[in-house]
Amino acid sequence: MDGLFEFGVPALLLVIGYFAGTMAEQTHYKEIRVRELRLRRMPTTNLRRPPPHWRVREVALVTGCTVISVDYFKRFLAQLRGFVGGRVRSYESLLDRARRESVLRMKEEAAQGGFDAVINVRLESSNVSSPLRRRNGTTGVEIIAFGTAVKLARQP
Amino acid sequence: MEPLENNVSPESPLAELATLLLGIALIGLGILAAAWLAVEVSVRWLPPEWEQRVFPDATNGDPRARALGALAERLARHWPEHSYRLRVGVLEADEANAFALPGGQLLVTTALLAGVRSENELAFVLAHELGHVAGRDPLRALGRGLLVSLVMAAIGGAEEARVAASAAELGERTYSREQESAADRFALGLVAAEYGHVAGATDFFRRVADDAGGGWLATHPASADRVAELERLAAEQGWPLAGERTPLPRELEARPR
Repeated sequence: MDGLFEFGVPALLLVIGYFAGTMAEQTHYKEIRVRELRLRRMPTTNLRRPPPHWRVREVALVTGCTVISVDYFKRFLAQLRGFVGGRVRSYESLLDRARRESVLRMKEEAAQGGFDAVINVRLESSNVSSPLRRRNGTTGVEIIAFGTAVKLARQP
Repeated sequence: MEPLENNVSPESPLAELATLLLGIALIGLGILAAAWLAVEVSVRWLPPEWEQRVFPDATNGDPRARALGALAERLARHWPEHSYRLRVGVLEADEANAFALPGGQLLVTTALLAGVRSENELAFVLAHELGHVAGRDPLRALGRGLLVSLVMAAIGGAEEARVAASAAELGERTYSREQESAADRFALGLVAAEYGHVAGATDFFRRVADDAGGGWLATHPASADRVAELERLAAEQGWPLAGERTPLPRELEARPR
């Protein structure tokens, strides 16, 4: 009975984490690719200033912020990885999704406001920890993307 | 521009899990094997004098302890490499059992003393525990227990280590089948040398087997197999199975409850 609880519950959580996590990830990626395709015509750059020939008519700050949680399976894999070192592959997709989703949200905000491009784009990340989880407080990762949306004067 | 999507490794996470689990298990086994070897080697090389200094006397001043000690010393005379100063104690308990502790200490429960009918029976029980002392079994069990709690502490933390420590306490009292039969062979030799025969040696187990239970069974091998094994050994060594049983010393006679 003791063994059932000690090993059965984590094993179940691992299985749930793997399947639920994989499903959520695949759904998310499918959605990301569609939206990236839709917005790919909007120029996005980390240059601080617009190119000299642009005639900027209006600017605004646009942001996109995403928090994505680690699933039990990924956390377990990362902990195992922590024993021996090396690339933490299980967290790579997490950060990739958060980064792309944040940039998409930022661009979507710009598109909704009728802006033509986003310049001076910056990305920042931070850990989100929960007080409920005492051991290694990471429950998820937050990535914020922000930049300056610019509206250009139409050429006559 | 189509995104390259090269920020996520294409390897299957399940394959990574399998590789990591296997690798870590192998490393863990290697460390455990090395530590186990270290325990074996140190148990073999630690002098009994050191062992006796480190583990202080846990025996109490029961009046029967003196007579038991005398019997143990008599048996130990037939053990040539003997260098322990034996200490025998009596443990107040309802289960008939006997233990060997590190430092050459033997403990016999009051229930066992109440159950034995002849000195030969008691001699065999004492000699069996002496066999554990000769095999350095209590020290080895302690070392292994310590090892397990160290490993658990390294993996899990204080809580797991505490659980393992109580498991180690249990481990102190149960030995492997090989350790038990080695102690039995040793004991039968001592009893044969002391009395000239091994009659009475198996009496206790026969009765325990009839009772089916008791504390001895919880920490020792099944009695019926054991009796057969002991008789086979006696026949092999030419030790007579029949002989006159020596009555218990007056101090050890069962007192009415």
